[in-house]
Amino acid sequence: MTNDMAVLDVAGISKRFGDLQVLSDISFTVTRGETVCVLGPSGSGKSTLLRCINWLERPDAGQIYLNGDRIGINNGGVVMSDRELSRVRTRIGMVFQHFALWPHLTVLQNLMEAPVQVQRRPAAEVREEAMALLAKVGLSDKADVFPARLSGGQKQRVGIARALAMKPDVLLFDEPTSALDPELVGEVLLVMRELAREGRTMVIVTHEMGFARDAATRILFMDRGRVVETGPPERFFVSPDTERARQFIQRYAAG
Amino acid sequence: MSAADVLAILQGAVVTVTLSLIGILIGLPIGLGLALLRWANVPVIARVVAVYVSVLRATPLVTLLLLLFFALPNVGIAIGPVSAAILALVMNTSAFNCEVWRAALMNFPKEQYEAAQSVGMHASLRFRRIVLPQIVRVSLPGLVNEMSLLIKVTPVLAVVGVVDITRAAVRIGAETYEPLPPFLVAIAMYAPIVFALVSLQRFIERRQLAAEAA
Amino acid sequence: MIRDFAIVWSERDLLLSGLGNTTILSVLSAIAGLVIAFVLTPALMSKRRWLALTVRVFVDGMRCVPFLLFAYIVYYGLPSFGIRLDNWSSGLVALTVYHAAYLAEILRGAWVAQPREPIEAGVAFGFSGPRLFRRIILPPLLLAAGPVIGNQMIQIVKDSAFLTIIALPELTHAASSIQSRHYVPFAAFITAVFLYWGLCLVIEAGVSGIDRLASARR
Repeated sequence: MTNDMAVLDVAGISKRFGDLQVLSDISFTVTRGETVCVLGPSGSGKSTLLRCINWLERPDAGQIYLNGDRIGINNGGVVMSDRELSRVRTRIGMVFQHFALWPHLTVLQNLMEAPVQVQRRPAAEVREEAMALLAKVGLSDKADVFPARLSGGQKQRVGIARALAMKPDVLLFDEPTSALDPELVGEVLLVMRELAREGRTMVIVTHEMGFARDAATRILFMDRGRVVETGPPERFFVSPDTERARQFIQRYAAG
Repeated sequence: MSAADVLAILQGAVVTVTLSLIGILIGLPIGLGLALLRWANVPVIARVVAVYVSVLRATPLVTLLLLLFFALPNVGIAIGPVSAAILALVMNTSAFNCEVWRAALMNFPKEQYEAAQSVGMHASLRFRRIVLPQIVRVSLPGLVNEMSLLIKVTPVLAVVGVVDITRAAVRIGAETYEPLPPFLVAIAMYAPIVFALVSLQRFIERRQLAAEAA
Repeated sequence: MIRDFAIVWSERDLLLSGLGNTTILSVLSAIAGLVIAFVLTPALMSKRRWLALTVRVFVDGMRCVPFLLFAYIVYYGLPSFGIRLDNWSSGLVALTVYHAAYLAEILRGAWVAQPREPIEAGVAFGFSGPRLFRRIILPPLLLAAGPVIGNQMIQIVKDSAFLTIIALPELTHAASSIQSRHYVPFAAFITAVFLYWGLCLVIEAGVSGIDRLASARR
């Protein structure tokens, strides 16, 4: 079922909300070091797909494996308890569209909260790593500031550092730049490019075509809850296989 | 506990509701008056009102009632339990109403007021035709909320001998040596009144939200 | 009149012990009420319908009952069930349980108004159950609801005065004793009124302190 290199293996995921079939039989694998960009028109189910991977939404059918371990269903074949799910979720980092920083904690505390409280790692060690991560996203001077005092771009860089602090096997990005003012998008993409270059395993839902074109190792194009096309960006952007992808690229390349 | 006992508590309910209504009806305009004094920033008086409101909001109704009931006769003002009760309720509720009214006045859009000025309305006309209808609307949920709070403190009136729901229930409990049943009957009379007011408040809020959304 | 206040001054020990008892009653039941609310609020928000409904009935029920009647039932009514509490215990139980319902509703209101994403981030980062509530959900709630909780504290102080009726020696009871012993009603009760005012001013100062903390975080 899973090959050795696959960090994330998604097999036949489906999800419906009431009458609406949001995801139909989605399958793909992400190997170590890949940057997969998920593209597609809004409402095509991209965000739901991400939320199904760490079971923020419970998929109706299909399987998800993280380094060979089934997510959401335990060895006994039953749905995981909150506790079991929590343990698996610590191995999946997530970056949210609206940052979702915890407002009552400082930037440094935001980074340390889950590693110390959930992963139970020693605070001193976590603090050191967290400071290094803040330096990496260029926010060392903001460690003791509350998120409310940051710009959108700074908030999202903290969001990324917070996800990295968990040392996850894979990073999920849910439209990380779509809530930002245009002039703040660049600083966040810069950090993400750096992560791609380092060979972090990432799945990124985005509308930033330029970023997808030159940072992604692979494009996953979705429409109406299905994966319509997948391939390296050079091929996808230049000569897509499907008509729907071609129209999508045209519309977004123009805008 | 006999049917006559239930009837006695019911009579107490009439007293409770009557006194509460009187308190509300007098307290509403007084609260508005106090709020206007503060809003208009009348020198000295506005400060006095602010302190009055602050003190009264911090004073338990029992304490206020005992003060009025025992101290007023002491300075030569004869006062019975019922008058003391009404006075205490009015003082208490007007302080809270003042805050509700004042919040509405503070948030009243200045442009509206200037628009009324620009078409030549004089002060009292401006207030009556433009300001009042709008602040009544904004204040309504807060005022209804205050009414339900007022009803919930009326059992205190029993302390000075007003025969309201609570005093009737206490008396019956003492006579029958079975205090629980009369208290439950008493609660059964209070609860619908308060519940009706709370529901009214929610209804008004929901209707106003819907109106804003439309 | 000055003589009257001199009499009250001579009874200052009684008055101060009343003030002390009022403070102890209020602080203890505020803390205990909050702790109970921390359990009730997640129950109100629970996806288990029966649980949410049960707690909802309790909370709405309390909000429809006058505090004095509730205190009477705890003090005079519970013995019918073989539960006999002295006036201190009944007073504390009544204040705590009654206001826990109000506090739970206040926290629920603040919870509903919170943005969903930070809580979801907590789940995504491996928080669940009580730890999710305690570390991620609750702190912003307390900051957001600070002023309303402060108002409720003032309400607790005021409701504690009702307990004079079950002969609990709190502030109003002390003032009553002084007035009946020396017949100085005005001096005795107005002193009590100003002591209540002072207590509420302290609470308000505390609230504005919390509000300063909160404004740095929003």
